[in-house]
Amino acid sequence: MRRVFLAITGLAASTTALVVFKGSPAATQVAQNLPTAQPVNPTPQEVEPSADPNAPGTDPADGEPTPSKSADSPVSPKPGKTTARPSTTKTTKAPSAPRTTKAPQPTTRRVTGNGFDNEYGYVQVQIVVSGNRIVEAVALSLPSGGESDIHSGDVRDRYDGSGGEVVQKQNANLNTVSGATETSNSYKQSLRSAIEQAI
Amino acid sequence: MTYPHTHATGRRTGTSSRHGGRSAAPVPPQVPARRGPGGRRLLGVLLLVGLLAAVLPWWLGTPAGSLRSTAATVTAAGRITGLVAGYLLLVQVLMMSRLPVLERWIGGEQTARWHRDIGATLLVTVLAHMSLILVGYADLRNQSVLAEVGTLLGDYEDMVSAFVATGVMMLVGFSSIRAIRRALPYELWHLLHLSSYLILLLGFGHQFTHGAQLYKPGPVRTGWIALYLLVVAALLWGRVIAPLAFNLRYRLRVADVVAESTDTISIYLTGERLGRLAMLGGQHFRWRFLTRGCWWQSHPFSVSAAANGRWLRVTVKVVGTHTADLRDLDPGTRVWAEGPSGTFTAAHRLRERALLIAGGSGITPIRAMLEELPPGAALIYRARTPADVLLSRELDWLAQERDTSVWYVIGSRDDPGPRQLMSPDGLRQLVPDVARRDVYLCGPPGLVEQSVRALRRAGVPRRQIHLATFEL
Repeated sequence: MRRVFLAITGLAASTTALVVFKGSPAATQVAQNLPTAQPVNPTPQEVEPSADPNAPGTDPADGEPTPSKSADSPVSPKPGKTTARPSTTKTTKAPSAPRTTKAPQPTTRRVTGNGFDNEYGYVQVQIVVSGNRIVEAVALSLPSGGESDIHSGDVRDRYDGSGGEVVQKQNANLNTVSGATETSNSYKQSLRSAIEQAI
Repeated sequence: MTYPHTHATGRRTGTSSRHGGRSAAPVPPQVPARRGPGGRRLLGVLLLVGLLAAVLPWWLGTPAGSLRSTAATVTAAGRITGLVAGYLLLVQVLMMSRLPVLERWIGGEQTARWHRDIGATLLVTVLAHMSLILVGYADLRNQSVLAEVGTLLGDYEDMVSAFVATGVMMLVGFSSIRAIRRALPYELWHLLHLSSYLILLLGFGHQFTHGAQLYKPGPVRTGWIALYLLVVAALLWGRVIAPLAFNLRYRLRVADVVAESTDTISIYLTGERLGRLAMLGGQHFRWRFLTRGCWWQSHPFSVSAAANGRWLRVTVKVVGTHTADLRDLDPGTRVWAEGPSGTFTAAHRLRERALLIAGGSGITPIRAMLEELPPGAALIYRARTPADVLLSRELDWLAQERDTSVWYVIGSRDDPGPRQLMSPDGLRQLVPDVARRDVYLCGPPGLVEQSVRALRRAGVPRRQIHLATFEL
C-alpha cells in the first residue's frame, strides 16, 4: 500500500511540475499572465504594454515569439453543436495610439478575428501582431469530431504558429489545404477580419 | 517407499550413491546458478523510460508559456494524466500476460504485487484524468461540469465507451480491495476481473479520436498503436501460445495418486521429454486436470520434487471440493499445465546458506528446493500434530544427503515451545548466523506474518526473506 501512495504522490507532483514548467517561461509570471490568457476574452484587443513579461527578453532576439503558439491547449475542447460560442461581437478596433508612443520595442497585440460557421463547424482565428508584423497565428476554434479532427489538424499545421503560412505571407491569401477547403476558407475569412482590425 | 532409490538412479549429477554407498566426503551436488535481480531492475528501468516516453509527446507539443489560463493548465494536467493512464493500463495488462520472460525475470509473486500496486495507481490516475479534463473543458466553454459531461457524451465520438471503461475499472478496483474481495465468491471476483479486458477495448477509441497528442497521424500515434499491438501480442504469447507449446511438448499425464497423510495426496505425473524441462524446485505450475468436473478449474500448486527428468509430483492438501475430486484422478488423465513460474527457488538466493521455514503443507516447495540448495541449509518445519508432518522420510533422507539440519516443531501456535522458538531470540539460538542467510518461508498466513516479524527483529534484511505467495 505504501508503494501505491508513493506512486500516486510522485505522479501528482511530477504532473504539477510539468504543468508549472510549461506554464510560463518563469514560474513567477504565471499570475501576471493570467488575465490576458483567456482566448475568448474580448480584452486581448487592447494594447498590451510592452511590460508584457515575455516581450522584452525573448521576443525578437531569440526568434522565439512571445505569446507562443498556444494553439494546442485552449482550442481543443472542440466546441460541439450545443456549445455556447465565444462571442466576437464585442471586439472593437484596437486603439492605435500606444503604438507610436512606445518607441524602442514594437508593441505586441493579440487580435481576434470574427468567427465563421461552415457546414463542419465553427472557425475563429487570433493573431499576434508585433509592430506591423504578424508574428503568430492561432486558430481558437476549428471543426472537430471524427474526420474533422484530422483536417483541422492539417489546417492548424499549415497556417498556425510563428512559422506557419500566415506569418510567412503576412496576409490572408493562403493556399487552401487539400481536403479541408471549407475550413481553409473560413480560416481565411476570420484571419482577414483580424488583420482589418489590427491595421 | 521406493522414492529415494528411484531418485538416486535418475540423478543428473555425480553423487557417490550411484556407485553404491555414500562416501565420507560427498561430492558437492549441482546447485543452480544464481539469478541476480538484474532482470527485475532492467525491467523497472525500461518501464520508467516508457513512462517518460509516454509523456514526452505532450512536452514537445506544448510550447513553453502556452498554459496561461487556469482552464488550459487544468486541461494540460488532464492530458498528462491521460497519457500516464494509457501507459499504465498497458503495463498493467503486460504484468498479467504471463509472458515467460516476465515470469523468469520477476516471478509470478512479484508480478502479482506489481499488478496490484499499478492497478491502484492506474485507477487514481484515470479518475484524475477524467476530472481534470472535465473541469478544464467546462471552464473553457463556460458551462458546468455536469453540462460538460453531457456535451462529451452527446457530441464526442467514443466518449460513451470511455465512460463505460472508467465505470468498469472502478468496479474492478473496488472489488479488489482486500476486505471486499474476501467477501465475494472467487468465481464472481474472477469474472469481474476478466472484464478488465473490456477496459482495454473500450478505452482504446477515445485516445485516438480526441487525444491531443494522438489524433494526428504521425510517429506518436503510430508508436502508441504499436505499443497496444505489442501488449496484445504479449498477452497472446503468454496466455495462449506458450502454454500450448509447453503442453504439446511435454504431454503430461497423471501416473499415480498416493496418499501422504489422511488429508494430503501426492499426484505423480509423467510425460514426454521431461529431461529437457527447465524447472527449479520451489516453482509452481497452474494445473488443469482434464476430467469431468475438474477441467474448468485451474489451480496453482508447487511441485514437491525437483526436476529429475522422469516425473513431476505435486503434493496437495485436500481442503475444498476441487482438491477432494483430485483424489479420484485416474492414471492416464491428461493434464494441462502452465508454467513453471516463481522466484521462490534456490537460484534466487543472495547468500550461500539458507534457512527454510515451512508450515503444514507449505513444505512442498521447500521439499523440492532442498534438493538444489547448497549444503548447510537449515529447515524448521512447523506442524500442529505429528500426523501433519508430510514427506518426513524424504526430508530425513535429504537431511543426510544434503547436509541439512531439520527441526520439527510440533504444537499449536500458542504452546510455549513453538512460541519460544519462533521468537527472534529463539531463531538466533537455533541458527546463530540467521542474519546472513536467505530465509524461505511457506505456510499459512499467520505463521508467515509472525515469522517475518521475528526474522526482521533478528536482523535479517528484507530482501533476504523470500515468500511463496500465490495470492495477492
